[in-house]
Amino acid sequence: MENQEQQASAADVLTQAIANKLDYLSTLQAAVQHGDDRQVYELLDQVRYHKEVKKTRATKTVNHLAELVDNIHPQISHYLSDRLIDYLGHIYPFFYYDEYTTGLFHIYFGNWWDRRLFGDLDVINVKFEFDQTEYQKLQQSFNLESQHQRLNTAQIEKISAQSEDLQKLMDAQPVRDNQKTKLREQLKENSQKSSLPWDSGKLKDERQGIIDQLTQLADQDEKALNAHKLIKKNDDQILVLSKEDTILNYEKQSIRDAFDDFEHFEAHNQSLYADYLNSLIGKSEGGVKADD
Amino acid sequence: MINDNDPATLTISGRLLNYNEAIKSGLATGLKFTQLMDQLIKTHDADELVAAATELADFQLDSDYVTFPHQYSNADYYLLFMSRMLELHDQGKHVMLQSRDHQEELTQQLTPLGDRGTFNFRVETSANGGVFYREKATGQSLFYLNLDRKMFRFNSHALTQLFIIDLHETVPADTVKSSVQVLVDFARYLKEDYGYSVDFNILDAANRQNYAVRSADLPAGVVDRLFVAAAKHDYMLTNGANGNGARIELDKGVTVDIFNNQLEGQPEWVLTVHDDEQKISWFDILLRYPFMRDWYLENLNDLEVVSDPLIFS
Repeated sequence: MENQEQQASAADVLTQAIANKLDYLSTLQAAVQHGDDRQVYELLDQVRYHKEVKKTRATKTVNHLAELVDNIHPQISHYLSDRLIDYLGHIYPFFYYDEYTTGLFHIYFGNWWDRRLFGDLDVINVKFEFDQTEYQKLQQSFNLESQHQRLNTAQIEKISAQSEDLQKLMDAQPVRDNQKTKLREQLKENSQKSSLPWDSGKLKDERQGIIDQLTQLADQDEKALNAHKLIKKNDDQILVLSKEDTILNYEKQSIRDAFDDFEHFEAHNQSLYADYLNSLIGKSEGGVKADD
Repeated sequence: MINDNDPATLTISGRLLNYNEAIKSGLATGLKFTQLMDQLIKTHDADELVAAATELADFQLDSDYVTFPHQYSNADYYLLFMSRMLELHDQGKHVMLQSRDHQEELTQQLTPLGDRGTFNFRVETSANGGVFYREKATGQSLFYLNLDRKMFRFNSHALTQLFIIDLHETVPADTVKSSVQVLVDFARYLKEDYGYSVDFNILDAANRQNYAVRSADLPAGVVDRLFVAAAKHDYMLTNGANGNGARIELDKGVTVDIFNNQLEGQPEWVLTVHDDEQKISWFDILLRYPFMRDWYLENLNDLEVVSDPLIFS
């Protein structure tokens, strides 16, 4: 008897559990069929939805039902992306998205030449996953603005100075050639001077001094010989750095045009989930149905 | 006294007759020449003009027995032809022919350019035939013309060297533009009226014109340099259509694209210029936008627009 009762209640519990899942899935299905993205989002993460959108503290107990659809996230993300990207287009007009595989999106910053791959768009969680290296470069270049500097200004100046020195070294070739001729003559004179015992020490020192100078000039000649190649290499490097500065400048300008400053941009990113879902509520109020 | 039966005198009279015939034919050639000259100088019919020029282009005036001590060179008939062709289209005042005293040699000036350029034709001596129109002081051959083959080819290298580099400091862009327009008009008449095959090259203002650049596989750094230079002048180089290459809008409705025209197989990077009225060529861009000119000239090794390789090499 007891066993049977236990059996029956176990079946009841399981039936209920399955019913909950079925109910969850059919609610989700209906939401998709009705194009009710807001409800889809709510079903995907009820805890977050209640916390961030409804701002109620009394969170429902975690029911794990959303795990049922974990393995169809790509399709859900693909479905939800349409409206989300439309919305983002208004607020972040400088971001471009590329669905490189079903439901997964790359973010590109801007439409200028060689714009940067800036990270990924997490559609399910309504979140930008910025590439940290790229993001920090942007943040840093905002910080440098107060000093009227660009990210690569210092480095470009350093390389330019080096190129200038190299150019000077090349230009001074005739001067060095002159010096060498003179030094060689001195060397000849030195070797022809009578080597009286009491002079020999002095002559030897003088000779060494001339040889040292000649060696130094030969070193500079060798550097000058490679200077052309190095300057070319420096030019290429400066191009890469100026290009990056140019891109960062466009990015800063875009953010300023849309958000005034970097802090507002970051604040918007923080509240993106709530902002987006509230915008969906706003829309569905005048729309087909208003549940809740 | 002539004795018809004497074989010796027979030979003499025969020789005289032959001689006479040779002179007659030489004079006939001369007469034919004067007719063609009349035609070239006086006709008001463009067809006759082209016909006369084509015949005069390789006309042999001298024969073994009749030679003419005062002659213009064949190249000069081309200059006459060019002047007359423009004249028949009411453009005669845009060129000035000049001949030096006691010397049968013509030169030409483009009226807008004046004495800052003196032009003549140089006959191509190879089997190809035809002539090159060149600026005498610099030796730059601006175009090639072949009347027999009805061919006309502009030379991007010479146009750039002469008008974009050499005359840049001394001649205003508008003057350069109207000078070059004379040459373009001449080519246009040949194309439109006589079906010549004309390559306008960097002077072609049609939107569909692809200007192929010398480095078919253009190094990315060249485009990067334009990106940086453009930003400094408040222009933005954007991604090209479908992510292929780059685009820059220089004025409302005036865009330059640089992209790979052969996405499969061997790359072929080209420049294009789009404007609503199809009046702007790559040459105009070089004249109008200093930073585009600087970029082109600094990267000329890679970017120089290709001219007909069979003619200009």
